Amino acid sequence: MIEVRNLQKSYGDFAVLRNVSFTVARGEKIVILGPSGSGKSTLIRCFNRIEPHDAGEITIDGERIDQKTELTRLRCMVGMVFQNYNLFPHLTVLENCALPPRVVKGAGREDAEELAMNFLHRVNIADQARKYPIQLSGGQQQRVAIARALCMQPSVMLFDEPTAALDPEAVSGVADIMASLSADGMTTLCVTHEMGFARRIADRIIFMDQGRILESAPPEVFFTQPRTERARDFLSQMIRY
Amino acid sequence: MHGTPLPPHAAHPATRRSRPADPSLKRLRARRLPWVALLWTCMVLGLAAAPVARAQQAPSFAAGGLTVCTNPTLPPMTFVNGTDGSDLAGVDIDVSRRLGAYWHVPVTFVSMDFVGLFPSLEAGRCGMVISGVVRQAAREVKFDAVPYQPTSLVVVARAGTAHVTSMADLSGKVLAVESGTSYAARIAQENVALAAAGRPAIEIQQYPTEDQVVQQVLIGRAFAFVSQDVELAFRQTQLNGKVSVIFQPDYPEYRNFAIYIRKDARDRAALEGAIAALRDGGQMTPILQRWRIMPGGGDMQAGDQKAVSGFNWRTFAAALVSPAFARGAAITLAMAVLSHMTAIGLAVPMAMVMNGRDGMLKSAIRAYVALFRAAPTLLQLLFVWNALPQFLPVFRESWFTPFLAAWISLSINEAAYQVEINRAALQAIDPGQALAGDALGMTRMQVYRHIIFPQALRIALPPTINEFISLIKTTSLASVISLQELLAVTQINVARTFEFTEYYAAALIYYLLIVFFFLWVQKRIERRFAWADRLKATSHAAA
Ligand SMILES: Nc1ncnc2c1ncn2[C@@H]1O[C@H](COP(=O)(O)OP(=O)(O)OP(=O)(O)O)[C@@H](O)[C@H]1O
Ligand SMILES: [Mg+2]
Repeated sequence: MIEVRNLQKSYGDFAVLRNVSFTVARGEKIVILGPSGSGKSTLIRCFNRIEPHDAGEITIDGERIDQKTELTRLRCMVGMVFQNYNLFPHLTVLENCALPPRVVKGAGREDAEELAMNFLHRVNIADQARKYPIQLSGGQQQRVAIARALCMQPSVMLFDEPTAALDPEAVSGVADIMASLSADGMTTLCVTHEMGFARRIADRIIFMDQGRILESAPPEVFFTQPRTERARDFLSQMIRY
Repeated sequence: MHGTPLPPHAAHPATRRSRPADPSLKRLRARRLPWVALLWTCMVLGLAAAPVARAQQAPSFAAGGLTVCTNPTLPPMTFVNGTDGSDLAGVDIDVSRRLGAYWHVPVTFVSMDFVGLFPSLEAGRCGMVISGVVRQAAREVKFDAVPYQPTSLVVVARAGTAHVTSMADLSGKVLAVESGTSYAARIAQENVALAAAGRPAIEIQQYPTEDQVVQQVLIGRAFAFVSQDVELAFRQTQLNGKVSVIFQPDYPEYRNFAIYIRKDARDRAALEGAIAALRDGGQMTPILQRWRIMPGGGDMQAGDQKAVSGFNWRTFAAALVSPAFARGAAITLAMAVLSHMTAIGLAVPMAMVMNGRDGMLKSAIRAYVALFRAAPTLLQLLFVWNALPQFLPVFRESWFTPFLAAWISLSINEAAYQVEINRAALQAIDPGQALAGDALGMTRMQVYRHIIFPQALRIALPPTINEFISLIKTTSLASVISLQELLAVTQINVARTFEFTEYYAAALIYYLLIVFFFLWVQKRIERRFAWADRLKATSHAAA
């Protein structure tokens, strides 16, 4: 489904991604781990081309992502959820979800709102549809952000530390939703710093350091017998927290 | 130049304060010549205009029509008669009409602030300036001056004040003069002499209009004021004998009122000939009698309203409902709204560039903002109205009205301030908002329109309304380029009647109404920003 070959990206002289290659199967849930600054966010932002890459190749569903890619179409196919939710504060929950299909896909207001309500039900937040984001808790806001991304009906979802600002109960709510997504065949790539969360949702862990992929393994393998010294250090530090 | 005669208006403190010190912009008043000298002058002028047949031919500045610039705040020379604010009257107006008839050309009057008169003459916006301006050598360097009426400087104090015998007797006293005139400079010369004699100086206080000068003496703040005999004679009927002349200084440079034209020897000769012909033909006398400069006339149209003590509610009410005030307020409002909307339209794209990457465009905008914030608004108005036509003659044509010129100047000026407000508002929006919009597949324009602008509006609204309210007041500067807005209408009526409080109060009511209306609009719009506040958002959602 997703193929990454020799992906490279630098900011000036600083190489953020160095020859990253991996593949993701349809419906697979990938969790990307790694120390701060290792290039995780940069990597997943290359998939919806919020960060254009310098060299190498990304293909999604056989389609190459490069400067010729039509961005609107790509971003309809690849949804993204942020650490700080980035909900639109001036719009109600319902409007947050209904606006993108309306302006991007030209859906009618009623259709868009019906679609939005469906996904709000899906993430268990439909009862808050008329509220403004400021009135919701962090966990509720993150669920709205997921619903908003789903309203574009993407086939790939990118999550950049979706639970970093949430309390443990809210984390588990988000994890439930992510699990249910892949049950419907959604491909997900998720960056996180929470090992429990990673272990719970991941089909496979990708471990990055200094712009390189050092390990790629199922969670039970990665967490119990990491192959590299770097990953062992990383895990021991994480556990100490 | 203007298709229809423009309504007159007067200056107000803000414009006068910024008056340049250029002597060519200063009004001079004159001293009465002995009648013998006048007769002699007439003979000379008559000789100069010897080929009478040619004198009937309009001079070049009046070819096709005579356009006259005047500042109608100096009765009986030039002022507005009646409350509707468009009925020019006075000696200068009558003389202009007679000249038009003499040359068989239509006469158009353009009334404007005093400061605007000579720049307008220079820019070719009018053929001549006649506005109770005295003949003065300094001004004749740039323009030709043709005298038409003798006058004399007078020092006036409250009735009953003892006469003085020299200017030096005013040592240590407060003397009120009209600012922008050359009186202050002339009296400063007396102060030099006083200082040399070791005596205290005459304390000069300058006020932007003649009526305010008079008022200072009436309320007792100033000991005396400086005026001209013709004006004083006229004012006496309004003032009910409350003031009297205490001294008549003999300053040679204040002896004649003159018509000013652009330098041209033939035009000058033609104008001199025309004035002499009017005088010889007995056409000047009825004018002077009519305005009580010479005895014998009776038809005094203005000055019949006496200054009353206390607040005249009838004047106040009449002013409030008068078409002139309503029109002035409408012009003020329209000018402020149009200029500010244009400014916002210009400022939003500039603010977007300012928040983007560095580049040529950004530097250009930065320079624009710095320039237009540094230059006084009044200067910008004068530049657009008077200097622009010298570079680009199209701006001299009649489509370029004072309203249009003020609209352009104020928009460009206001946009420089609005850029900063908009830039700060855009910058205050979390970059994550645009990022989320991008990630959802929105285009740049969609992100701005649906996500950034609605949030930035909330931040920009209060400072924008503040700017707007200040712009409403700034529009009054446009009186200098002859736009007859609210404060101009007020000044004209005050100059005519001396009923300060009543007309100021009426203007205040209009300003308050306009400002309160927009504050109310602001409240209405802010209700839509409940989303930014948790408590309000809750009650909003419940509603
Ligand atoms: N716009 C940019 N300009 C320059 N350097 C950048 C830029 N964005 C990221 N970087 C650098 O690239 C490196 C990788 O950044 P990235 O955000 O991908 O790291 P990360 O693995 O997501 O880290 P974290 O866990 O802290 O989120 C960091 O060293 C960062 O400083
Ligand atoms: Mg990151």
